[in-house]
Order: sequence, then structure tokens, then C-alpha cells
Amino acid sequence: MAGSYDVIVIGGGHNGLVNAAYLARAGKKVLVLERRYVLGGAACTEEIVPGFKFSVCSYVVSLLRPEIIRDLELPRHGLEILPLDGTFTPMPSGDYLWRVNDHGKTHREIARHSRVDAEAYDEFGKAMQAMCRFVKPILSMVPPDPTTLNPRELMKLLFIGRRFQGMSSYDKYNQVQLMTMSAIDFLDQWFETDVLKATMSASGIIGTFLGVRSPGTAYVLLHHYMGEIDGAFRAWGFARGGTGAISNAIADAAREAGVEIRTQSAISQIIVKDGKAKGVVLSNGDELYADVISSSVDPRLTFTKFIEAQHLPGDFLEDVNRYKYRGSSGKVNLALDALPNFKCMPGPGAHLRGAISISPTVEYMERAYDQAKYGEFSRRPYIDMVIPSLTDPSVAPPGKHVLSCFVQYAPYKLRPGLNWDDQKEAFGNTVIDTIAEYAPNIKDIIIDKMVVTPLDLEREWGLSEGNIFQGELSLEQLFFLRPVPGWAQYRTPIKNLYMCGSATHPGGGIMGANGRLAALEILKDVKGAA
Amino acid sequence: MSATPRDIVIIGGGHNGLVTAFYLAKAGYKPLVLERNPQVGGAAVTDEFHPGFRCSTLSHSAGPLLPSVVRDMQLHQHGLRLITPDVCVTALSPGGRPLSVYQDVNKSAQEISAFSQKDAAKYAEFEKSLDKISKVIAEALATTPPDIDHPSSGDLWSMLKTGRAIRKLGKKDMFRLLRWGPMAVADLVAEYFETELLRAVVAARGIFGTFLGPWSAGSSLVLLIRAAADSHPAGGICFATGGLGALTQAMAAAAQAAGAEIRTGAEVIEIRVHNGVADGVLLATGEEIPARAIISNADPKRTLLKLTDPMHLSPDFVQKLQHYRGNGTVAKVNLALAGLPSFTGVNDTNALKGRIHIGPEIDYLERAFDEAKYGHFSRQPYLEVAIPSLSDPTLAPEGQHVMSIYMQYAPYKLKGDWEQERKALGQTVVQTLAQYAPNLPERILTHQIITPRDLEENYGMSGGQVFHGELALDQFFTMRPLLDWARYKTPIENLYLCGSGTHPGAGLTGGSGANAAREILKILKK
Repeated sequence: MAGSYDVIVIGGGHNGLVNAAYLARAGKKVLVLERRYVLGGAACTEEIVPGFKFSVCSYVVSLLRPEIIRDLELPRHGLEILPLDGTFTPMPSGDYLWRVNDHGKTHREIARHSRVDAEAYDEFGKAMQAMCRFVKPILSMVPPDPTTLNPRELMKLLFIGRRFQGMSSYDKYNQVQLMTMSAIDFLDQWFETDVLKATMSASGIIGTFLGVRSPGTAYVLLHHYMGEIDGAFRAWGFARGGTGAISNAIADAAREAGVEIRTQSAISQIIVKDGKAKGVVLSNGDELYADVISSSVDPRLTFTKFIEAQHLPGDFLEDVNRYKYRGSSGKVNLALDALPNFKCMPGPGAHLRGAISISPTVEYMERAYDQAKYGEFSRRPYIDMVIPSLTDPSVAPPGKHVLSCFVQYAPYKLRPGLNWDDQKEAFGNTVIDTIAEYAPNIKDIIIDKMVVTPLDLEREWGLSEGNIFQGELSLEQLFFLRPVPGWAQYRTPIKNLYMCGSATHPGGGIMGANGRLAALEILKDVKGAA
Repeated sequence: MSATPRDIVIIGGGHNGLVTAFYLAKAGYKPLVLERNPQVGGAAVTDEFHPGFRCSTLSHSAGPLLPSVVRDMQLHQHGLRLITPDVCVTALSPGGRPLSVYQDVNKSAQEISAFSQKDAAKYAEFEKSLDKISKVIAEALATTPPDIDHPSSGDLWSMLKTGRAIRKLGKKDMFRLLRWGPMAVADLVAEYFETELLRAVVAARGIFGTFLGPWSAGSSLVLLIRAAADSHPAGGICFATGGLGALTQAMAAAAQAAGAEIRTGAEVIEIRVHNGVADGVLLATGEEIPARAIISNADPKRTLLKLTDPMHLSPDFVQKLQHYRGNGTVAKVNLALAGLPSFTGVNDTNALKGRIHIGPEIDYLERAFDEAKYGHFSRQPYLEVAIPSLSDPTLAPEGQHVMSIYMQYAPYKLKGDWEQERKALGQTVVQTLAQYAPNLPERILTHQIITPRDLEENYGMSGGQVFHGELALDQFFTMRPLLDWARYKTPIENLYLCGSGTHPGAGLTGGSGANAAREILKILKK
């Protein structure tokens, strides 16, 4: 035997690392196996162009659970979150919408577009906070099984029911709407300014293959509203040193707790004997054994690549195959010689320090989706840009900048005749052309670019079909239905095998809750057995 | 007011109004039904639109009706003859083989096996699950949604009963029910079938009458609600001899026999409210009719924002109701035909007796929807066609036929004017049909075109929405029409709702009318 562990965690993304850290702190001997040369999974920083550090995939953070920051003492391990202030939406008309964290300024800015909306915006903020307060504890809870009469599960349902009952009827009304409506139908009730609705609705579609008018997107809007860096709702930030710094801090905490981490250690198989997981086989043929295997990779890899079908019930496998990924986004990272210069607000300024959103109208957003439905990337996509080098100079050489562009829609499945390897260049150019409509100097200041397609996300980061959340955040794949109905409590039909990645409740984003909740469930079972 | 108050006034003699009138009359009350048009029936009427040619002007299929309503009202004794063709639907394919689905599962499976053996087996499996699940939903549809803030013991009991019915499904179907509701119907059909034509014809039930495309999340719920009335995956059709007007005529006869009074040509223009209490209605003629209770079969927006002075409502309620979504997407075209057109690939006329579905692919349906999002009607629309004269020869002179066509999507909010687009809409429908039945255009004697604007103006449907408000997750059950106002009461005392804008609301089932009558009776008896 090459080695024996209490737990082997497959995948060194942020959830895998959180999972490992919690298990090690409970006294377990834990090994993390990461296939790539760098830790963090999709939360990584890489120096692709010399001197420029890209947060290659995930680029902002807000959902990281405060209890994890506290428990793992992440600030002591080097985590520093820098504020990302505001959202700037340039418009083709030469106007813009610029919302910042300063209440008075935002109020005046929205009032410039619509007085009614400025008033409604405050109300909206309050209503959303109430919604977040209702949903937040659910993020930190293991989903109940609604089909059993087990008192523990019933108590959980009762807990949710009571919390719902405890809300005012106004909040109940909003909550029910948020769970069922489309982002635009929901926002239509509050606002009249098209550009405001378009930009706000954008957070309702991130990581889903839905348009802003599709029911279910209002929930995703809430999911993204829930950020709570330093306890302030809705605050997004950068990690100093790029998103990878978050993973590194967690890895540091894990190592301190005694976790062994190996990079460039791809596994090829999970060893199953008599319905129990026993260990893993590395791609070099080595076998490693452990009492518990915890997989942070998605269900497709875990159950159809690493495990032979014979070990799994047919029904379960059918559900695993039915689980929807459908990546819809890509990423373009640019190394810039200077700052982009926006026609509607020329020169450098604070508007470049926040998010810059290319989402000028609701129709623009919807048309971007229409193209993707039929298997093409959007000719004029929704783009969420940030320039982290303005806030954190360590990520680019002096005077130079990093521009990170999240792009939707880039459907994983292109129509017959097209493939991503051929389309990659055109996709990157489309993004640059789109930006150039608002900031014409962009083409002159690009030193180098890195285009990440959904296919790249699958090949390089192991995200099936390029879904950044390890599976769509659609209502039928949430809570006790995530990832597979009946298997939402981190356990699997194979004894001693657990899931701890974004494909489990509460879903994607750099939250870490999945890894933590899975660790707590594993510890329950292990203690029960001992 | 001098006249002695009536017990109950019902505004609108649509099918739900008549069902409510019947149940109230049966319980000993004397409801007066006031109908604006010269005949009762609302959206279930028959008109002679061309000499010798009669057609169900709007709805061409009975829901199907709740069996309890048919039984209680003894509709057959009042002259109702329902015809359910053996074939549910025939889906046409451009240049390809049409697919017929039958009432009989085995026969359907056999037909489907010509396309795919796998799908044939899956069809039976899907039908079984859908049948189980839709029974549970049917049970929920027949109950009054619970009071959210203060559930009564009766509410808890019925919730418990529904809960038990759900539990009886077993783990697998229970999860299916939970998972299916919010899904896109395109995903649901793809989980079962590989034949595009079959996928499209089943998925169409999830988008009919809604502002959703097959890729819109939540469209599966619409399919489930419709399956509660008819659990065949593709859904059949149910004609009434003499057109659907005969159905509402029978309902009117039943209501009158039970003691209800019906006045046609009596248009209510205002609901009178004093101190938060509704106490009468004002007719267009100036006549006032005082009443102890007023029940509106009109949609919630029309009832509370148009017929009632909104100053009697809280601003919050008014605002919420204004946001009740209900922009129609359906237009209706009725054709008088000199003879039966020949459909390419259809050799047996029997195949045309059920619904005829045009919309061969999921993407076809979705593209039709895309245009509606931007305010255009579909250039290649999704059509649901019926030729009722094949089953009921009384509707047209011998050898001639009437064709009833639902066209989707025709957005109420059009970029442009519906009056000017009316003709273009008719042409689009005929051209689309001609791709499947090339000799259709030359057989057309006349056509009748009803746009969403007409639905609003002539039939009182706000926004031209055929269901009295979009059928969607956020406007369903305890949320229909508004969260916590799903119990047929309104904020105005003695004013009630009984139309399709209340739970369960979908189509010609009589469910809303029956539920409303039960709740209102409880209150009246207190």
C-alpha cells in the first residue's frame, strides 16, 4: 500500500480544500489530490502572460461564507478582500448608468434616468435584504429529504415553514415571486428604466442556460445578491493577488491542520468493493486507500468516469445522466498597455474600479440568449468586466492592466458544423469588438489575450460542458433536488463515497458551504460508525 | 335604491359563471346572471360566421370538463352531447410522415414505434407517471388554496390530504412531481423521447395560451395542469355537438332549472361599493341592481380595476393586481371550407378528427415564441387546428367543413396596430397551413380572424389572455390571482371572483366556478 488515509478528497478546488480543512481540524488524516499544477480549481490565479496575473476563471468573490472565513482564520492565512465598488453600464446612446455603494450618489444617478425608480431602488434594496435573511440559513443547512417521515427531516422542513410563516405578508409575497418568476417580470414590478432592469437582470442568468425572461431566473438574481463580505449584503470584492489567493489561503489553513496536498495527481478510478469506496487509482497507476472518499468534482466525472456503472443503481445513474450542465459562458482575459477609454465617460476614473457591465437593454440581453439557444455564441454578448489591477497593482506590471471579461452566452453545444476550437478566435474577437463599441481604444492597448471557451473549462478545469457551477442553477436542480433527487445530503449510493463540490447544495460560486456541509455530514457518519 | 336586493348577482355568463350559478341555485339561493352579449357562454360560444357554417368561435374543445360538474349539472339531460374522437392529435411534419396519438395507449405506442421503438416504450412509461402525478394535481386543483397567514383547521386538513396523496405516489414519482414543475417542457420531453415530432407535440401543451416558449422554465407546470384534466401525454380533444355554445347552453339550462335567472344583453359597467362593501351593480342602461353578494366571472383586473373604483382598494393591492401578468399570445382563425383539404401524408380522414398540430420541432416552437418577445406575431406560427365538422356534420352543409385554428404567438402588445395586422395574420395562418395542405387556400369560402385585441374588446378578456391571466408558477394555486387572495374573496366585502383568473383556472373545466361556489356558500351560510 502506497499510503493510507482517513479521507481522500478528489479535487483541490475551493470546496475540496474547505472540505479537507474541516475534516483535518476534526482530527482526520486527509489527502487532497489535484490534477492541475495549481490549486483552486476554477478559483485560481495564473500568470499566463509574463507579469500579468489573471484570475483565469472566477474573478470576484462575495458568497464566501463568513463562518468559513472565521473557522479557518483565512485572513491570518493571507486572505485580503479588496472592495469592488459599483457597476458601470455604458449605453450606446452615449449615456451611462453608474451605481455605486454610496447611497446618495446612486439615488441621484438613478433619478437622472427616472425619479420613480430612484425611490423604488431603496425599497427594492430593503426587500431583497429581507429575502436574503430568509434564504441565508438555508444555504448553511443540509437539505431535508421531503419524501421521508424521519423526524429529523420533518424538523428541517418545519424550520423552513416556520421561518416562512414568520415573515410579513409583504416579504412572503416577494419571496414566493423570487422563487418562481423571471428576473425581468420581477424587476418590471419595481422599475421602468430599461438599462437598470437589463443590468440588474444580468445576475439572474449567470451560469444558467436561461434568458432574463425565463421563469426561475429571479432566484439566481437573489443567489448573487447574497454576498456578504464583511457582513454587508450585496458587496462584491477582489482577493488581493487574484482569486487564486482565496484558494491558497484555504490550502494554507488546510495544511496547517495537517492536510497533505498533492498537485499534478490526476486520478483515473475510484476503487469500489462490495458497494464501498476503498480508495483511488492515480493515472500513473498508484493506488491510494482511505476510509472515506470525498469528491469535489462534478457528478458526471465522479459517477460515470471514475466509477464503473456496475457499482451504481440504474435509477441513480439515469438521474446522474439527466443532471443538466449546459455551460453558457466563457471568459476573455486581456493584458492591457493602458486603461480602456469609454466614450460616455472618457479618461480614467472611479467608474473603472467597479464592474463594467455591457447590458444596455433588456432586448439586448434577450437577443443574446436567442442566438445561444440555436447553438451560436452571442454576436453581441452580455459582458461583465473588471479591472482588478486598479485596486490591486500586484497583478500587473506598473502602469499596465488586467481586464477580465465574463461573457455570456457561449453555449457549450454549438450547432452542427461548428466547434469551439475553430470558433475560439472569433469568439475572442466578438468580445473585443463589442467592447470597442463603447471603448474604441481597446484594440490598440491589448498586449495579449487569453480566451477561455466552455470547452476549455471542461478540458482544463474538469467542469463538464463548461458549466461554472458544476450544473445549472435552475429550480429543478436546487436544494433537495441537487444534484440528484434523494441524494442531496452529500452521500451517494456507494458507502463511504461523498460529494462536496458545487454540484451539491447550495450550488456554485466561491461559497465553500458545500465543502463545509459535506465535511460535517462525513464526520457524523464516521463518528456514528466508531 | 328602491328595488329589494337580490340574493346574488353574477357578472358574466361564461362557463364558470354558469357553474357557480348552478351550485348556488341548487343550494337554495336565487342568483341572477348578467351577460353582456346576446348569448351566454363567454369564450365557449357557437356562431354562424358564414351562411350555413357554424363554428366554436373561440374555444373549440371542452377542457375536458370536471366529471363532477357534468354529473351534478346533469348536462346530458340538458342536451349536451360530447364527442371524444379516438385520435387525440395528429402532428404534421413538413414533407414527412405524420404522427397520430390516440386515446388508447397501446395504439399510440404502436404508431410511435414507426418512428422509434424506444419512444414507443417510453410513451407508455411517461403516460403512467403522468397519470399518477396528474391525479394528485387534479386533487389539488379541486381544493381551495389554503390561507397562508392563518390556515384554518379545514385548510390544514386539506393540506394534509393533499400531502398524503403526494406521499402515496412513492419516492420516485414524488420527486418527479417536485422536479417537473419548474422545468422547461423542452427538457422534460427530451428526457423521454428522441423523436422530434413527438417531443414537439407533447411540449406544445406546456406553452398553449402562455407567454412561454418550450425552453422557458416552468412550462412543464402548464403541461401538468392540463394533464390533470386529461392525462394523455399529448392531450385529446372533446367536441360538443353543435359547437361549444351547446355546452354553455346546457349549463345555462341546468342553472335555470335549478332556479337561477339569466339576463343576456345586460352589461354591468360598475360594481357599486359603499364603505368597503359591495352592494349592487350598475348596468349600461342605467339600471341599478342591488345585491347581497356579487360574484364576478370577469377576470380579476377587469373586475377590480375597471368595474370597481380602485379607490376602494389599498394602493398596495392595486399595484400588485396591475402586475398580475396577462398579455395574451393566442389569435383565432375560423375558416369555412368548400371541401376537406388534403393533407400531405395523411391517407385516413380519421386522423384529422382530433387535434391537428403544426409545429414540428421544439426549435420551431421556440422561434415562433422569439418573435412574440419583440412584439411581432410569428411568421411561422404554432397552430392547433380542429375540423369539428368531421365529427359533427351539423356544423356545415353536406360535404363542406369548418376549420377552427388557434394561432400562437400573436402578442397582445404588438409593435404596430392589430387592426392593420389582422389581414397579414390571416394570410400567415393560411400560408403556414398550405405548407401541409397545398389545396387549402382554394377551398376557403370565408375566414373569421380574432386577434388578442378582439378578445379583450368583444369578450372582456384583459390583455386578450385566454386564461384570464398567465398560467405560471408565480400565478398558480395560492398565488392566483394574488398571493393570499386565492380563496375567491376580494378585499371588498361581498365581492367574489369565480372566473379563470382564480385557482385552478386552466381552460374549460368548470374547476374555478365549482371551487368558488363551494367557498362562497360557506361564507353565505355563516
